[in-house]
Amino acid sequence: MRAAIEAAKSGLNVALVTKVYPVRSHSVAAQGGINAALNPADSWENHAFDTVKGSDYLGDQDAIELLCREAPEDILALERMGAVWSRDFDGNIAQRPFGGAGYPRTCYLADRTGHGILHVLYEQVIRHGVIIYDEWHVVKLVVKDNAARGVIAIELKTGRLHRLHSKAAVIATGGYGRVYKTTTNALSSTGDGMGLALSAGAALMDMEFVQFHPTTLPRTGILITEGARGEGGYLLNSKGERFMEKYAPKVKELASRDVVSRAEQTEIDAGRGVDGCVLLDLRHLGAEKINERLPQIRDIAINFAGVDPIEKPIPVRPGAHYSMGGIMTDVNGMTAIAGLYAAGESACVSVHGANRLGGNSLLDAVVFGRRAGAAASEFCFQTAFPEFPDSSLKDAAHEVADILKRDGGEPAFIIRGEMTAAMENSCGVFRDKERLTKGLENIRELKERYKKVSLSDKSDCFNTELLAVVELGNMLDVAKAILIGAVNREESRGAHSRTDFPRRDDEKWLKHTLINKTNGELKISCKDVTITKYKPAERKY
Amino acid sequence: MKIKIKIKRFNPNEGEESREPYFQLYNVEAGEGMTVLDALLKIADEDDPTLSFRRSCRSAICGSCAVSINGHAKLACKTQILPERHKFGEILVEPLANHAVMKDLIVDFSPFWNKMSRVTPYLTPPPGRQEQADDVKITPADEAAIDRAQTCIMCGACNSECNALEIDPEYIAPAALAKAWRFVGDVREGEKQKRLERLSMEHGMWDCVRCVHCTEYCPKDVRPLKEIELLRSAAIGRGITDNHGAKHVESMTQSVKRVGRLDEAAMTFKTLGFLRSLGMIPFGLKMELHGKMPMPLIFSQIEGMDEVKTIFDEIEEKKKEKE
Amino acid sequence: MSQLKYAYYPGCASQEITKESSKTTRLVASALGIELHDMPKANCCGAGLLTDYDYDLYIALNARIFAEAEQMGMDIMTICSTCLMVMSTANRDLQNDKRLLEKTNDILSKAGLHYSGNVKVKQFLWVLAEDYGLDNLKKKVVKPLSWLKVAPFYGCHSLRPSSALGFDDPQKPWSLEAVIKALGAEAVEYKGKTKCCGFQVDLVAEETAVQMTGTRLLDAKGHGGNCLVTPCPFCHINLDNYQGLAEKKVHQKIDLPIFHLSQLVGLALGLSAVEMGMTRHLVSAEKLVG
Repeated sequence: MRAAIEAAKSGLNVALVTKVYPVRSHSVAAQGGINAALNPADSWENHAFDTVKGSDYLGDQDAIELLCREAPEDILALERMGAVWSRDFDGNIAQRPFGGAGYPRTCYLADRTGHGILHVLYEQVIRHGVIIYDEWHVVKLVVKDNAARGVIAIELKTGRLHRLHSKAAVIATGGYGRVYKTTTNALSSTGDGMGLALSAGAALMDMEFVQFHPTTLPRTGILITEGARGEGGYLLNSKGERFMEKYAPKVKELASRDVVSRAEQTEIDAGRGVDGCVLLDLRHLGAEKINERLPQIRDIAINFAGVDPIEKPIPVRPGAHYSMGGIMTDVNGMTAIAGLYAAGESACVSVHGANRLGGNSLLDAVVFGRRAGAAASEFCFQTAFPEFPDSSLKDAAHEVADILKRDGGEPAFIIRGEMTAAMENSCGVFRDKERLTKGLENIRELKERYKKVSLSDKSDCFNTELLAVVELGNMLDVAKAILIGAVNREESRGAHSRTDFPRRDDEKWLKHTLINKTNGELKISCKDVTITKYKPAERKY
Repeated sequence: MKIKIKIKRFNPNEGEESREPYFQLYNVEAGEGMTVLDALLKIADEDDPTLSFRRSCRSAICGSCAVSINGHAKLACKTQILPERHKFGEILVEPLANHAVMKDLIVDFSPFWNKMSRVTPYLTPPPGRQEQADDVKITPADEAAIDRAQTCIMCGACNSECNALEIDPEYIAPAALAKAWRFVGDVREGEKQKRLERLSMEHGMWDCVRCVHCTEYCPKDVRPLKEIELLRSAAIGRGITDNHGAKHVESMTQSVKRVGRLDEAAMTFKTLGFLRSLGMIPFGLKMELHGKMPMPLIFSQIEGMDEVKTIFDEIEEKKKEKE
Repeated sequence: MSQLKYAYYPGCASQEITKESSKTTRLVASALGIELHDMPKANCCGAGLLTDYDYDLYIALNARIFAEAEQMGMDIMTICSTCLMVMSTANRDLQNDKRLLEKTNDILSKAGLHYSGNVKVKQFLWVLAEDYGLDNLKKKVVKPLSWLKVAPFYGCHSLRPSSALGFDDPQKPWSLEAVIKALGAEAVEYKGKTKCCGFQVDLVAEETAVQMTGTRLLDAKGHGGNCLVTPCPFCHINLDNYQGLAEKKVHQKIDLPIFHLSQLVGLALGLSAVEMGMTRHLVSAEKLVG
C-alpha cells in the first residue's frame, strides 16, 4: 500500500489487487515496532552498523545505509499521514530497546504497531483514490520479452478470471511462513508473490535464510512480541535459570533473534525445556506495566495459551517468522524484469542478510515500498503501454479449469500437511546435509503428487478450496527454493545454522544465493555482497 | 472429545431447489484450547472442503473471521469451543447478521466499507494545506483520547449486532462512527466542524438507539458507543445543534438544570419544535385520555436544587478554564 | 433472611408518564416485606442524554445520587433499566478510576457532598431474582399465572454493557424467565427479547423507532406470547403507547398487552388490575386479567 500511495500521488491510475481486504494483510500483526535513529544521541550509522552485524554481514551495505538514513523521515511521514506514535512524558516519540540494537530506537504504537501503520496506509489509499480489487487472487504475472504486462487475477466472489493490463506491477505479498508447520504467520502468508515471480522469470535471493522467532506460542505459533523482552521479560528454562546469560552474557534476552532461537532450541534439546518450550517470564514487570505497554500480549496469552502473564510465565518456543530472502531487487525495488517491482517481505534488497533485526521489517516495507512505488511510476512515465498477450488469459483459464476438472486425486490438505512437516523436520533452527537432502526429495515427490490434486468444491462463488490449491502450488515452489539454498550453503551464518558446518565461512560464502526457474527447473547461482565500510567481523552479543 | 458443530450454509451456485440456507451438522474432535476457527479449518480440510469462510491471522488482529456464534458476533479465532459449548450446550455458527450472505459464512462486506468511506476515513489537514505539518505537538493525553478508536480491526462485529442498522440499512453504524471519532478526536484534524456537521445529518450519529450491542460485542473493546457519545458532545460543544438529536439532549440538560429531573412534555415540544408537536397531537390526546400526558406546569422540583446548580456551575467553570 | 431495604430510585419516567409502575412496585414491595426508602434529593441520571452533553457533568450528577444513597447507608434499587445502565456505568468508571473519583469529589465538595465509591446499583428484577430469592417469591404467590404465556422483554439496559452491570448474561439471560416461572406463568422464547425497543430515538428517528417497536412486538407474539413483560418503563412506553403507531407501520393488528414487571408480580400476589393502574395502559389487558 505504501507503494500504491506513492504511485497514486504522482498522478497515475493505480489499482491494488489483494486476496484479502487490505486491512487484513499480515503486517497488521506486527506488534513491537519500527526502527529509526531519531534521538540526537543515536545515529543512522549506528542503526546501519547494528543491521549489518545482525545480518551476519550478508546484507548489502549500500542498501542498509539507505534504509537507515531514510528511516527517520519515513517515521515522520507516517505520522503526517495520521499515525500516532506512542509518546514519552514530554510528548516526544517514545522508543523502546529491541534485540540486536545498540540504542533504544524502536518506535511503537503500544503493541500493535503494524496494525496502526497498516490502517493508516489503508486510509491514505482511500484518500488518494487507489482502485481496490479486494478478494481478487493473482494467478499469473504476465511477462513477455522480459517486460511486465500486467496480471491475471481470479475474482473470488464470482470465480471469474480478469486481466489487469498495466505498464508496471509491484509485488508486495509478504512472506511464506505457512510452508512451515509452526509459524507466526497468517493463514494467508503463502508466499504467492515469490512463487509467481519465480515462474515469471525473476530471481529469488537468499531463500535459505528463514527467521525463527524465539517467542511463539506452542501449538498455534502465535507471536509474542520481542517488545515483551524489550520491556524487560526474562527467558527461563525448566530449572528456572535465565539461560541467555550463558549464550549472550552482555545483552542476554535482547540478543538477535537467531541467537536466542538457537539458545532455546539447545536448551530444549538438552532436556531443560518445559513440554518442548521455554518460559517467558513477565511477572516481575508488574500488572501496571504489562497492562499499559503490552495489553495485546496479555490478551493473546490469556486467549491462546490460557496463561495470564501477570500471574504465570508464558510457554514459548521458536517458530518460523520471517523470510530474509525473497524476490531479488535493487534499492528501487526493481527486479530483473522490466516493469516488475517488489517490496517488503516478498522482496530481498537485501537489507536483512542472514538475519533480520526486530523492528526492521516494517521499516523495510515502508522505505522500500515508497521507493518501489516512486520508481514504478517513474518507469510508467517513460514507457509506452506494452501489449497484453491475448493468449495469456486463455492459458490461465485453462489451467484453472484443469484443476476444477480433475477427479479422484488426493485433496490438497494432505500434501500441505506433509510439506509443512517436511520443512519443519528438515529445515528448522538447526540443519544438516542428510536431513536437508531428505527434505528436498520429499518436496520433489509432493510436487509430483500436486499435479493430480483434485477438488470437492466445483462452484464459482468463493471457492476457497480452489484458492488453497493455487496457494499450495506457490508454496511448493518456495519450499523447494529454500531447501536448494540450504543444501547448497555449506556454512553457518545468521539464521542458517548447519550442524555439519558450524562456522561462518566468509571466504567461500560471503555471497548471496540466487535461484531462477528455467524450463521448469530451479537453477542456483551466486552474487557478491556489497560491502561499504563495515568489514565482516565475528558476531558477539 | 467429539463435539457437534452446527453451521448455517448457503451456496448460490447449487441447484435451484437448494438455494435456501440450510443447517449442516459436523462432528469435530475438540480438545482444550481449540477455537471455533480451528474447528472450521479442520472441517474444511478433512470433512467438507466446500465449506467457505474468511480467515487470516488467527490471532484476533486482522478482523477476517467474525461470524455469529450461538447468536452473537464473535471472532472465530478468539472463541474457544469447550467453554462455548459448556455455556450454550451447542456450537451454532452462522454468518454475521445485518449483512447479505454470499456463501456459507461469507457475507457481503461492501456496505461496511461504503459506510467507512462516508466518514472520510483519513486525517485531513487544515484548510488550505496539502499535508499535515509536524508542528502540532502530540501529548500522551492526545494519544489517549483516540486510543480506543484506533484499536478497531474492522471485523464488523459491532455493525452485525447494531439494532439501528437492523431496522435502517442507511444508518452509518458504529464501526464508521468509531472511525469518525478517531479523526474528530485527533488534535491535528483540520475539518472537525465539517465532519461533525455531516455526522449530524439523517442516518448519522444521532440515529444510534443506544442498544449497547456494539460495545458489548466488540472483540477489541473499542466501545463504539463511547465514541458516539464523544462525537455528540463535540458537536454540541461546537454549536451544531440544529437537529432533533442535539435538541433533545439540550432540552434534557436544561430540564435537569431547572428542576433536577426529566420534564417529558417540555422535552417533546422543544425537541420537535412546535409544528411537529402539532402532528403528535392525536397521539397526545389518546395519552391524555389514559392520564399519560405529563403536565409541565405542575412538575415539581427535587430537593437540594442548590447542589445541582453548584455542580452545573463548577463544570461550566472547569470547561472555561480548559479553554 | 435479613430485612431487605433499598434507597428507592424509580426514575423520572416512573414518577410521571408510567407512574403506575412505581405505584405497583411500592405495593408489591410492601407485600413481600421489602423496605423502599425514598430519595427526595435524587436528580435525574441523564438517561444517556447527559452523557452526550458532557461526560464530566454526567459523572458528577450521578455521583450526587450515589452520595445520597451512601448517606442513607443503602444500595440503590431502580425500576428503570436505562437508569440502571446509566448509573452503573458512571459507578463503574468512578470505582475503576481513582483520579476520576477524586476529580468528581472536588466538584461535589463545593456542594457539600462526598461519594466514597461504595454504593451498588440494582434493578428490581435482580432484587427479586437474587436478594429476595425465587423460592421466597414462589411462597408468596396466591394466584399462579398459569394462563399466561409471557414474552420476557429484557431490552438493552438491563443487560448491556455487562462490564458495568455484571448481573445477568447478555448472551444467555435467565432472570426474567426465572421470575415469570416462579409466578406460575410460562416464558416464551424469542430472539428479540434482548434487543432494543426503539425508545432512544422516538423523538429523533421516529420511523426507525416505530418500525423497531413493531418488529419486537411481532417477534414476541409470533413465538406464542399472549402478553409481554418488561422491567423498564421506557420499553413499556414504546411497546404499549406506541403499539398503535407500530401496528400501522407493520400493517398488522398486534394487540399484545404489556406488563410492567411489578404488575406481573402483583397479579400473582393477588393485587387487582385497578390497584396496579393497568387502566392507564393503551393496550388493554382486560381479557387476561379480568
